[in-house]
Parts: sequence; structure tokens; C-alpha cells
Amino acid sequence: MAELGRAALVVSLGLCVYALVAGAVAAHLGRRRLALSAQNALLAAFGSTLVASAVLLSALLRNDFSFTYVASTTSEALPTAYTISAFWGGQEGSLLLWLLVLTGFAAAAVRLNRGWARDLIVWVVPVFGAVATFFAFLLVAVANPFATQAAPVDGLGMTPSLQNPYMLAHPPLLYLGYVGLTVPFAFAMGALISGRTDERWLVATRRWTLVAWTALGIGQLLGAHWAYEEVGWGGYYAWDPVENAALMPWLAATAFLHSVMIQEKRGMLRIWNVLLVLLAFSLSLFGTFLTRSGVVNSIHSFTQSSIGPWFLAFIGVVVTVSLSLVFWRLPKLRSPTRLESPISREAAFLYNNLLLLALCLTIFWGVVYPLLSEAIRGEAVVLGREYYDFFLRAFGLPLLLLMGIGPLIAWRRASLRSLLTTFRWPTGVALVTGVFLLALGAGSSVPGLIAYTFAAFVIATIILEFTRGTRARKALGATSWPGAFSSLISRNRRRYGGYVVHAAIVLLAIGVAGSSAFDTVAEAKLERGQSMEVGDYRLEYRTLDERIAANATEIRAELAVSRGDRDLGTLEAGKNAYTIEDQVSNEVGIRSDPLTGEDLFVIAEQIDADGTVYFRVFVKPLVNLIWIAGLVFLLGALITLWPDAREQRRLVERTREIGVPATR
Amino acid sequence: MIALSVAAVLAVFLLYTSIAGGGNPSLAPSELAGRSGDVQLAGLVVGPVAGDAHAGGLTFLLRDIGKKSGKAVSVRYAGSVPDLFKVGRHIVVDGRLRNGTFVAEPGSMITKCPSKYAPKQSGDPA
Repeated sequence: MAELGRAALVVSLGLCVYALVAGAVAAHLGRRRLALSAQNALLAAFGSTLVASAVLLSALLRNDFSFTYVASTTSEALPTAYTISAFWGGQEGSLLLWLLVLTGFAAAAVRLNRGWARDLIVWVVPVFGAVATFFAFLLVAVANPFATQAAPVDGLGMTPSLQNPYMLAHPPLLYLGYVGLTVPFAFAMGALISGRTDERWLVATRRWTLVAWTALGIGQLLGAHWAYEEVGWGGYYAWDPVENAALMPWLAATAFLHSVMIQEKRGMLRIWNVLLVLLAFSLSLFGTFLTRSGVVNSIHSFTQSSIGPWFLAFIGVVVTVSLSLVFWRLPKLRSPTRLESPISREAAFLYNNLLLLALCLTIFWGVVYPLLSEAIRGEAVVLGREYYDFFLRAFGLPLLLLMGIGPLIAWRRASLRSLLTTFRWPTGVALVTGVFLLALGAGSSVPGLIAYTFAAFVIATIILEFTRGTRARKALGATSWPGAFSSLISRNRRRYGGYVVHAAIVLLAIGVAGSSAFDTVAEAKLERGQSMEVGDYRLEYRTLDERIAANATEIRAELAVSRGDRDLGTLEAGKNAYTIEDQVSNEVGIRSDPLTGEDLFVIAEQIDADGTVYFRVFVKPLVNLIWIAGLVFLLGALITLWPDAREQRRLVERTREIGVPATR
Repeated sequence: MIALSVAAVLAVFLLYTSIAGGGNPSLAPSELAGRSGDVQLAGLVVGPVAGDAHAGGLTFLLRDIGKKSGKAVSVRYAGSVPDLFKVGRHIVVDGRLRNGTFVAEPGSMITKCPSKYAPKQSGDPA
């Protein structure tokens, strides 16, 4: 079986190289049949990678420990779901997943677009071929998932904290996001090489970018939720290099999704967009390099491995070649239109882009600073939490405000007078909210207060937009209000889906501000029967139980929770001791208030032999809005992603007008 | 105008770095001798671990990661102890050297799991 897997990978590598070489020759010489065969090679590479993946999956499911990979990531006792997740639990398997998704995406994106953008596609194929060749080469030569050994009696098992439903979805979603960013990158490079630098590459890849971006966003939120519930230190994001590694490409992709609209509508920012795509793609590679090379101190230290330098070299090649291409095509990328006024939709989008990029680059600086300072001063200097928090506020708060301003301001040139009329209501709502919160005592955190005031402003603008649009549709003859509302959304999914995503980001901001700026914490060492107070909650430590579960001993302290005179039931917090893996893990107790979105979060930090427990308790207001934001985000993304034949036709028509050169 | 915006962003960045200064140096136990300021210390836990993290503090020794021998430094730590903390693990703590003992800031400990996503490597302890 292992031979079949290895052979399939070698075939994949051959096919990827063929797609690269034959594709480039065909595009250069204008050979149509050769170009078609290069496209088919991508599809065939997907097929043979699928075979290799099936071999690995079946080895995992059969617990075939003669596969080194299977023995090192699973054990006999591991439940089937986690055995499947072991596919991406290790380095070799995750690279295989990467190649599988990449070849699949490449084949699909090429097939879907070859009808109307053939002159562009011929150069996209070799770019896909080049990226896929890199991964196939790594799998064949450096990190082979099909290495075999004399089968041990049992595997090494999986780290307890990974034996968690979130780990079934979080890593593959991030991979989907990382790999998905290859599609706009390949099309951008294809556009540069072929010289067809019009807007078609954007139209062709918009949905792919959106899918990648959505997957990255949801994947990160799932990771945050996992950290919150399972790692149990009371937070959900720690500015760890590995977390930042996923956040940076997401920020770059967010900037790209916005600036694309400016290019589509006004033909501006062409160079900028190509650079953003390059940045997003390189950052996704850089993320993998960070996690695998072990160059920075991270909580998530994945095993240091040999693929780090390969990634660094590949990033170097990608950046050098792409920048040369941009430089070479600079004359063709010059924008025909210019920015007319600093107060206009275009300008608002530009500010949004600059802020997103500034945030992304300051995070990047924080991540590489230890490496740079070590290289220059001979001593690694680490930038702490304060650094990131500062810039999240400095760039994040203006971004929040712009989210309300950008969509409502006029194109080209907005007058101050029209601004006053447009934003009269939202500004009023924001001011009232601010004053009201101040009266309630929210002034304890100025950034928190500003965040809430801005959030109120944005929500007001979004509601205003929806009511105004619905009214207009009703006036145009919609029979009912709900009918008017749904026709409003379906007629411009992109715009109103975008508003829904904005609402999700506002919820996220409210949740983050609430749980970080206005939280309460208390600690106490309690004997049975003693109690402690935190915020307006009162917790009484009742009993300590020990249970034997399948693979762990569970110790749980039971606490009775009350607020004022109201009894709120009991809460359990404790630790699991995993026998085989010889590890202990915190099992926190969380009580969510469905009305206020507040969490009571209990950690049993230390359990002594005599039954006294050291508790650490947080009250985190509004933290549940973060998870709700994930659902709203998904809803908004789905609205914008929903197939819209009318819009697609309109965009294709528009690019037709630009003039498609004679197809080869 | 783009140039102006970029300048504004840069100004914010410089303002921060000039006010808050850089971060802390990250050192290995063998590099600690003679350092007086706040540093981040990364090392391998060597036993015995004694004391109570919530009463008086834990004490243990830290040695350079990846070295079989070498100078170990004694560390005193109070506050939350991560699940993965034990002899043989890699940890990171913030703090400063006082009279030959590294006094860590409460709650600053981060553990690194040497085997999180992959098998134990030869040479890795524990």
C-alpha cells in the first residue's frame, strides 16, 4: 500500500511539472492543444493526489502502524473521528492535504473560467503548476507521508488537547484558506505574464478569494473558541506567532476584497491589488514557515522540522519573481483614473486599506522582531502583548469607524453638506450611546468606550441602509415588507451581504472590548464549604469528586453559583489526568448567561491532596458575542457568495467592453 | 494624499516605539549571568520542583534547551501553572535575576510542548 501512495505522489509531481513546463511553452508559443493538455495535467494531478490521500486515510483507519506517520499520530484506542483528523494532525499529512486542495482548486478554477478568459488562463495554468510542483516536491523528497517501519504494537497516540471536536474543523479550514489564496495569486500572475491586466482576473477570482477568506476567518474563530474552552487560561487570543500567522493573511485578504471594488468600479489601485494578492499569498506561506521552522518561541511549538528552509526559499522565489513581473508590467498597470477628493468612497476605501495593511504589517513586525534583533544585536528581543494591543487600538478603532462611513459616502466627491445629512442619525445614535454608557460607568476603559460608541455608529448606519433600501423596494412595487427586504438583498447580494459581515465585525468588536476591557477577575484558595465573590456572583465550593473515564481520571470541584438572592445552579471545574499520555489538562467551568452574553469562567488551578482548591474566576461581559459574530459572519459571507447569475453576466459584459483580444 | 496617510501611520508607529521602547530580550539560562533588567527566559525544567505556586512560589531549575549539560539557573515562580508544566518540559517565563535567583513575574509562565503535533524526536527529553 505504501508503495502505491509513494508512486501516486511521484506521478503527481510529474504531472505538476508537466503543467508548469508544457503550460508555459504552450502559452508562449500559442499552442492551443498543448495548453489544453497542461490543463488536463492539473486535473490528473488532483486525481493522483486523491489516490495518495486515500492510501493514507485507509492506513489511518486500519491502524496500520507499519506507516511511520500512522504510528506517530494515532493509537489503537483513539476514536475514529480523531483518527481521521490525524490526517492533518502531522506535518506530512497536512502537506498532502495542502497539495490535494491546491490541485483540486486549480483544476476547478481553470475549468470554470476557461470559456471566457482563455488568453488569461493559458498563463494561470503554469503558475498553478509551479506552486503545486513545490508542494509535490516536498512530499516526494523531504516529508514523505508514506515512510514505513517495522510495525510497533501501538501508536504514540494524539496529544489530549487535540482530541477535541474543534480540531476536526479548525486546521482544515485554515488550510482551505491558505490554499484558497493561491487562486487569486495565480490569476494575478497569469494576468501579469499574459499582459491582460484588465479587471477579468478579479472577476474570475472574487468568489475564490471570498471562500478562502471566509474559511480563514471561521477557522480562526474556531481556534479561538477552542483555546477559550479547552486551554482554559481565560482568554481566546494571545498574539502568539502561530495565531498571528493566520491573522495576517486574513487582514491582507480583507484589504484586497475591499480594494478590488475600487478597481472594478473605477479602474484604480491596479498595482496595489496585485501587491495585496502577492502579500496575502506570501503571508500564507510565511505562516506555514513560522509554524514549522521553530524559529520563534510559540506556545504552539510544532516540531521543528526540515521543511522550514524550503519554505523560506520558496517565499523568496515567489516574492522576487512576482515583484519583477509587477515591475515589468508597470506601464500596463497604470491606472486611467485618479483620486478626485480625499472625502469620497474611493478615499474611504483607501484609508481602510492603509489601516488594514498597517495593522497587518505591525503584527508582522512584532513576529519577526525577535529574529531581526537576534540577527542585528545578537540577542532576541520579544515584543509583548502591550505592543499588539496598542496597535489593535490605534488602527482597529479607526477601522471600525470607517466601516460605518465607507459604504455611505458618495463616489468621486462628497460634499460636507451631504455628509452632514447622511450621518446625522448615526452620529446622534453614537453620541447618545456614548453618553449613556459613560453614565453607566463604562469610562473605566477609554478604548472600550470609544469602541462601543463607534460600534453604535456603524450599527446605526447599517440599519439605516437596510431600512432605506427596503423602503425604496416597497415603493417600487414590492407587495410586502418582508418581500421588499428579501428582494433588496437578492438584487445586490454583494452589498447587503457585505453589510451583514460588517455587523459581524461590530459584534466581534463589542465582544472583544467587553471581555477584555471590562472583565473582572478574582482568585482564592478555598476549602470545602468556603465561598468567594467575584463581580456580583457568589461561588460556594461544595464537593470534590474523582471519576474514572475511558482514558483519563477526572477530578471535579462542584461549586454552587448565586447572584444576589437568585440561585444559578452548580458549575464544575477541575482537571483531567490522562494516563497513557501522562498529562494533566485543565477542564474549566463556564456558565454563559443567554440574556447578557456574559460568561462566568472558573479555573481550578491547583487541587491539593487535602481537597483545598485554588480557584481563579473571571467574569467576562459580552464574550459570547464573539462566537455569535462567527455565525453572522458566515451568514454574510454566504449571502455574498451565493451564485448570482445576473451580476456575473453584468461583470462579464463589462469586461467584454474593455475588449478581449482575439483568442488563440 | 496617500503619502500623507502613510506618514500618519508611520508616525503612530514611531510614537509607540519611542514611548514604550522595545520589548524584553529573550535569553537562555546560560546567558543570564550578570543581567539585571527584565528579560524573558526560555529553558528546560530540571527538578526537583518544590513549593506551592499559590503560597510562596514554586522553585525549580532551568537549563539551556538542547544541551545535555551546562549551567542551570534557579527560578522562583508564583501564579498560574500551565497544564503541561513538569520536569523535562520547555518553558518561557518573564522576570529578572535577583541575588542569583531568577524571580519570575506572577502568571508569566508559558509551556512549550515538545511533541504537540509530531512524534518525539531523538534528543528531546521526556
